[in-house]
Amino acid sequence: MKNELVLLLIIFIPIIGALILPFINKISASFRNGFSFAVITFSFVFSFLLLPLVLKNQVITIFRYFPLGFNFVLTADNLAVGMAIVASFISALIVLYSFDYIKHYENQNEYYSMVVLFLGAMMGLVFSGNLILLYVFWEITAVTSWRLIGFFREKKHILRADKAFLVTVFGSLLMLLGFIRMYQETGSFDLFTIKEVVKMHPISNLTIALILAGIFSKSATLPFHTWLPDAGVAPSPVTALLHAAVLVKIGVYVFARIFVATIPISLPWQTIIPVIAGISALVSAGAALVDTDLKRIIAYSTISQIGFIFLGFSLSNEIGIAGGLLFILMHGLAKAGLFLCAGIVEQNVKTKDITQLGGLFQVMPVTAVSFLFCAFSVMGIPPFGGFFSKYMIISGTLQEGHLLIGATFLFGALLTILYLFRAFNLVFLGERKNPSLSVKEGSPLMLICVASFALLSLLAGIFIAFPNQIAQITAQQMMGIR
Amino acid sequence: MVALFILVPFILLLILNLPFKFLNAQIAFWLSAALFLIQALLALVHSWLPWSNYSVPLGQFFKFKLALDPLALIMLFTIGIVVFISLLVAKSTITTEKRIFNFINLLLISLIGMNATVLAADIFSLYVFVEITAVAVFVLMAIEKNRFAIEGTFKYLVLSMIASVFILTSLAFFILASGDISFVGIHRAFLANSNIIFLNFAVGLFLCGLFIKCGVVPFHGWVPDAYSEAQSAVSVLLAGIVTKITGIYVLMRLFNSVFVLKGTFGNVIMLIGIISIVFAALAAFRQDNIKRMLSYSSISQVGYIVLAIGCGTPLAILGAVLHFFNHAISKSLLFVNAASLEKKFGSTDMSIITGLGNQLPVTSVTSLVGLLSIAGIPPLTGFWSKLIIIIALFNAQKFAYGWIALLASVLTLAYFLLMERNVFFIKTETLGEDKGGVPFSLKFCEILLAAITVGVGLGLPFILNSQILQLKGFLH
Repeated sequence: MKNELVLLLIIFIPIIGALILPFINKISASFRNGFSFAVITFSFVFSFLLLPLVLKNQVITIFRYFPLGFNFVLTADNLAVGMAIVASFISALIVLYSFDYIKHYENQNEYYSMVVLFLGAMMGLVFSGNLILLYVFWEITAVTSWRLIGFFREKKHILRADKAFLVTVFGSLLMLLGFIRMYQETGSFDLFTIKEVVKMHPISNLTIALILAGIFSKSATLPFHTWLPDAGVAPSPVTALLHAAVLVKIGVYVFARIFVATIPISLPWQTIIPVIAGISALVSAGAALVDTDLKRIIAYSTISQIGFIFLGFSLSNEIGIAGGLLFILMHGLAKAGLFLCAGIVEQNVKTKDITQLGGLFQVMPVTAVSFLFCAFSVMGIPPFGGFFSKYMIISGTLQEGHLLIGATFLFGALLTILYLFRAFNLVFLGERKNPSLSVKEGSPLMLICVASFALLSLLAGIFIAFPNQIAQITAQQMMGIR
Repeated sequence: MVALFILVPFILLLILNLPFKFLNAQIAFWLSAALFLIQALLALVHSWLPWSNYSVPLGQFFKFKLALDPLALIMLFTIGIVVFISLLVAKSTITTEKRIFNFINLLLISLIGMNATVLAADIFSLYVFVEITAVAVFVLMAIEKNRFAIEGTFKYLVLSMIASVFILTSLAFFILASGDISFVGIHRAFLANSNIIFLNFAVGLFLCGLFIKCGVVPFHGWVPDAYSEAQSAVSVLLAGIVTKITGIYVLMRLFNSVFVLKGTFGNVIMLIGIISIVFAALAAFRQDNIKRMLSYSSISQVGYIVLAIGCGTPLAILGAVLHFFNHAISKSLLFVNAASLEKKFGSTDMSIITGLGNQLPVTSVTSLVGLLSIAGIPPLTGFWSKLIIIIALFNAQKFAYGWIALLASVLTLAYFLLMERNVFFIKTETLGEDKGGVPFSLKFCEILLAAITVGVGLGLPFILNSQILQLKGFLH
C-alpha cells in the first residue's frame, strides 16, 4: 500500500469512525465498543508500519495547495510517527479498560464517539505540517475533551468542563495570534517553508511568547494549570486519556515540533522556559503533597512531570531532547496506569479522598502492585522506564551548565517520591477505615489493563536500549544532525 | 433575465391572491417553497447560466437598472436558503391556515424587496427596496397580536423610520453633488473630487441611518426586542437575513465600490464594529431568554462584519462576505433551535427550560454545531471567516483591532456555553412542561443548516480555491 494512503487512513479512519459510531450502537452496544477499540488499534498498527520507513530517515509528505496559506500538508517523520504510536497505543488500552468502567453510566455513545474523535484529531495534529491545519485539529481535541470532562451531568462537572474548555480555547486563541504573526513574518503557514525562512529572519519574541501561551495552556503549565486538577471530576479513563497520556502531551509535542524541529529558540528563551517549567514543577509538586483527593494528586503530579519534558526540549543537546522524547513514552504509560488504578479504587470504594481510604492492599492486590510499579516509574526509580528519561534530562541540563536549574528539578523529583509514597501509603497500606464496607477487586479486563501499564513501565526500563535508540535517532533528526 | 428574481415572486404573489378556491395555504406553501429553493439553486449554478458574470441593463421593463455580480449571487443564495427555512418554521409553528397564508404573502413581498435590493444598481431604488422589505417585515412581526410583539414592532418601526429620514436626506445630497443616482455616477463624482464636502456630509448621514438598520452598538436598542418577541419564523427571517440585507449588504455594496473615502470613515466604522463585538457579547451574558441572548450574539457577530467592511481591503471584504453567509446560516440554525424548544416547552426562558438532557437529541447536537461555528471553533464555517477577517486586519496593520476581535471569541464561547449548560447539559429535577413533540419540518431545518455549517466548514479552503476566488470581479 502506498505510504501516503496509510498516512491518510491513520487520521481519517478514526474521524469517520467517530461520526458513524452512534449509528453502530443501533446494532449492539458491545459491537460499538469493539468497533471503537478496532478503530484505535488500526491507527496504532498502521503508525507502527510507518516506523521502519521513517527510521531510515525517509519523510512522507502530502502537500495540496490552497489559497491564503491554508495548505493541506501532512508530514510523517520520526517525531510524528513516534508520538502517534505512543498516543494510539495508550488510547487503545484505555478504551479496553473503559468497556467495564463506562458500562454503568449514561451517554456511552457520546463517550465512545468523543474518545475516537479525540484520537483521530490527535493523529491529525501529530502529522500536520501546516500551522492552520494543526490549529484545526488542536481545537477539535479541545471540543472533544470538553465533552469528555463533562461526561457526568451534575452542575459541578459541567462547570469544570466549561472551565477547561474556556482556558484551553483562550490559550489557543493566543497561539492563533502567534501563528498569524508568524505568517506575517515568514509569509507562510507551512512548517517546512518557515524552517527555511527563519534561518535568515529570526522570529520575534512576541510571536514566540504567544505560541508558548497556547502550548502552556494545553499542557496545563503554570499559569494556565488550574483546569487540569479540576478536570479530575471526569470518569477515570477520561482523566487517564486526557490528562495523563495524550491531551497534555499535545502541548509538549507542538513545542517539540515548532521550537525544536522548526525554529531553534533564541538564547533568552533557553533560560525562560526552564524557569517557567521549574516553577510549575515545584508548585504543583507542593500542591500534590497537601491535596487529599487521589485523582487531584495524580493530576498535579502530571503538571509537575510535564515541567521535566519542557526542560528536556528546551535544551539544545541531543541527550536532553532524547530524554524528553523518552519521557513522553514513560510518563504516558505510568500516568495512565496510575489514573486507571485510581479509577478502580474510586469505583469500588466510592470515594477519592485518601484520608478516607486505607488498607486496600489486602482486598485489591493487583491494583496495589500495579499502582506501585507505575508510581516507581513516575518517581524515577531504576530499573523502571521513568528513571532513564529523568536521568537523561537532568544529565542534559548539567551538560548545558545549568546547575541551579538541574538542582531545582532534582528537588522536584524528590517531592515526586514523597507525594506518591504518601498517596500509596494512605490508600493501600495501614488499617481499613471502613471495614464494614465490602470492597472487591476491579473486573478482570480492567486489571489486565492496569497490569499491562505497570509491566510495560518495567519492561521499557529493562529493555531501554530499543526505545532509547529510536529516541536518539529522532533527536538527531530534529536537530538536523542526520 | 435578472429581473426574473423579482418578477417571478411578484407574479406568484399575484396568482396566489386571485379569487380561486383551490388557492389555499397548502398550495401557497409548496409553490413558494419551490420558488425559494430554485432561487438558491440558480444562484449556486450561476456559471451555467447565460447571464452569469456581467450586468444586464433592463430599460424595457423598469426605469431603473439591475446588475448581477458575484456579491449579489452569494446574497441571492443566502436569501433563498434563509427564506426557505423561515417558511418551514412558519409551517410548523403557526397554527391557523389563514395566518400561514398571510405569512407566505408577506414573505414573498419581503423576498421581492430583498432580491431587488441586492440587484439594484442605483442608490434610489436601493433605498426604495430596503423600505419595501422593512414594511413587509413590520407587518410580519405584528402578525403575533400580543403586547410584546407589538411593542417590539413599534420600536423597530420608529427607529427604522428615523434611519430612513437620514438616508433619504443623504440621497438628496448625493443627487445634489453628483447629479446622478446610479452607483457609477456617484462613484464618478467621488473620483472627480468636486463637491467633496457635500458628498462626505451625505456619507455621514447615510452611515447614521445604516448603523440603525444594522443594529450595531450604540444603535442597537431595537434589536433584542424585535428578534425575541416576534413569532419564531419571523425571528429566523429577521435575524437571519432581513437586517443583514437592509443594513450590512448596503454598507458592503456602497462603502467599497461606490463611495471613495479617506481613512476617517473607515476608522469610525471599525470602531463601531469593535464596540459592537465586545459590548454585545458582554450584554449577552445577562440574558435569561435564549432568543434575547441570540439577539445580542447577532449584534456582536454583525460587529465582525462591520469591522471587516471598515477595514476595506479586498481580503477583509472577502472575510466580511463569508462571515455574512456563515452568520446567516448559523444564526438561523440557532433560532430554529429556539423555535423547537418553544414548540416543545412553550417557552424560551432558560430558567424554565433547563436540564433537557437527551430529550431533544437533534436540537441539542445541531445547536452545538451552530454555537461552535459562531464562536469560531474549527473546522466549522465561522472559524474560517473570522480567521480571514483577522488575517486581513493584521495585513492592514490594524493590530489592536485584530487582537480584540480574536480574543472576543472567548466571550462568545463563554455565553454560549452558559446557554448550552443550562438548557441541555445540567441534570435537574424540574423539567419544563412538555407540550408535544418537535415536528419533522423543524428537525429537517436543523439538520439542513447544521449540514451546511459543517460541510462548508470542512470544504472551505477547497470552495475558496475552486469557487469563490474564481468569481471574477469579486474583489474588484
